[in-house]
Amino acid sequence: MNPVFQTVRELAEAVRARRLSPVALAETVLARLETLGPRYNAVVTVTRQRALVQARRAEDEIAAGHWRGPLHGIPYGAKDLLATAGGIPTTWGAAPLREQRFDFDATVVRRLEEAGAVLVAKLAMVELAGGMGYRQPNASFTGPGISPWGTGAWSGGSSSGSGSAVAAGLVPFAIGSETWGSILSPAASCGVTGLRPTYGRVSRHGAMALCWTLDKLGPLALTADDCGLVLDAIAGPDPHDSTAADRPFRYDEADVDGRRFRFGVVRDVAATAEPAVREAFARSLDALAKIGTVDEVTLPDLPYEAITRTILMAEAASAFEDMIESGAIAGLTAPEDHFTAYARDTILAKDYLRAQRLRGLVVREADRVLSRLDALVAPGRPGVASPLDREFRSAARGNVADLMGAIGNAAGLPAIAVPNGFSEAGLPTSLQFMGRAWEENTILAAARAWQGITDFHRRHPPVEGR
Amino acid sequence: MSPARDAVEVDLLLALVRHRYGDRLTGEQIEALRRGVQTIAEHAAALRAAPLTNADEPLPPFTPFRVDE
Repeated sequence: MNPVFQTVRELAEAVRARRLSPVALAETVLARLETLGPRYNAVVTVTRQRALVQARRAEDEIAAGHWRGPLHGIPYGAKDLLATAGGIPTTWGAAPLREQRFDFDATVVRRLEEAGAVLVAKLAMVELAGGMGYRQPNASFTGPGISPWGTGAWSGGSSSGSGSAVAAGLVPFAIGSETWGSILSPAASCGVTGLRPTYGRVSRHGAMALCWTLDKLGPLALTADDCGLVLDAIAGPDPHDSTAADRPFRYDEADVDGRRFRFGVVRDVAATAEPAVREAFARSLDALAKIGTVDEVTLPDLPYEAITRTILMAEAASAFEDMIESGAIAGLTAPEDHFTAYARDTILAKDYLRAQRLRGLVVREADRVLSRLDALVAPGRPGVASPLDREFRSAARGNVADLMGAIGNAAGLPAIAVPNGFSEAGLPTSLQFMGRAWEENTILAAARAWQGITDFHRRHPPVEGR
Repeated sequence: MSPARDAVEVDLLLALVRHRYGDRLTGEQIEALRRGVQTIAEHAAALRAAPLTNADEPLPPFTPFRVDE
């Protein structure tokens, strides 16, 4: 079989039935990463040696009758903020850290290894996950991430390579991180599915810290089903991360045929989105009526975006205090990253604390609304992929509204972005389902139902060698 | 807060940035930082305008620690 653009579930069935060799699969993926990865600036390091060792082990184990589960023998890429042992660099996308190495694997990487997955690449990302205030796509020492859907289109950030590598069929799934938008944005810009788990669902041990109270790790893949399979492997408590919750998670694969969902939509949530996004969202609301009800909901008037942005800027300024105060940020790629963070010295402690106090209201109000729903729906990103050569609009910077991102990240709520259309220029648009805390299975079911009545997730960009 | 007081506050906060980092900054960068400080001041004003009670604690709550638990 040609494994390119096959889902994790399809690949897993072939591997388990020994119709597909994990070693051959790894070789295919490694070759694509090496030849096509540079086209999208998607890859920092191809981990060929480690991949082939893991793939051979998987092949031997499966041949001996020991199948670990659906990720056994399946290749994946990890955003390059996840620590990896064995001399593999972990650069955080930052030129001054291009030789940084760790002597341990991040918990997520270790869990995926235990599940039998094969690490084939460390994937490109915006430097320091965008924490220094970048304003345009050229903000990584590996170059601006490029969406496979358009040569002049940004892949989104900060999990740029995680989005583009999945979209281009370079890996079946990838791990990204989100503080505010960094999984949903590249998923949207690259036309793939991205799952932001509940804060604390996945251990962040070994992941670069940008904002301790906002950072989440999650999968990007072709389908919601694949995201569920990956989350099943990486979720769970971890003695090395006190925020990793002691709440068991098992992916619920139950058939969603005939299931009716209760969706909510915040009034005017797409009002400031680009026309193509607004139009796709309007069509999506009509289509969602096939699988459930859609009711308008209201939220109290709170400064949602100021809350999340203040927390993000203050914590990032602290997390990278050494680099900022030493002036090491002058070695970053984006010119604006050389100095923008200096302004954050003016955030007062009492304003950060006020933001954290108001966050308590956000958490309660969001749960009040979501307790009566299966999910809130909204555009996954307010625009299609931005041009590479221009400043983009960013909710984290405050020049575009992102109510859902502000609430969802402040409240630590799970959300999944799925493709829902294309602009006239052929760039993907996206729909998000945001759920109650710890309700990943509910939003995964809703997203699976969506992908059962649409085919956007089965469309792929024109990449050679399919 | 009036626009005039806002402007004074931004000037004062920017003076702190210039004091700490001015020797590394160009005039263009300082003007960009003025916009950044202005945004931070606007966020602070928005936060302060939202009502809170004495009982509204910051998240996440503090938790005592024991190595054996």
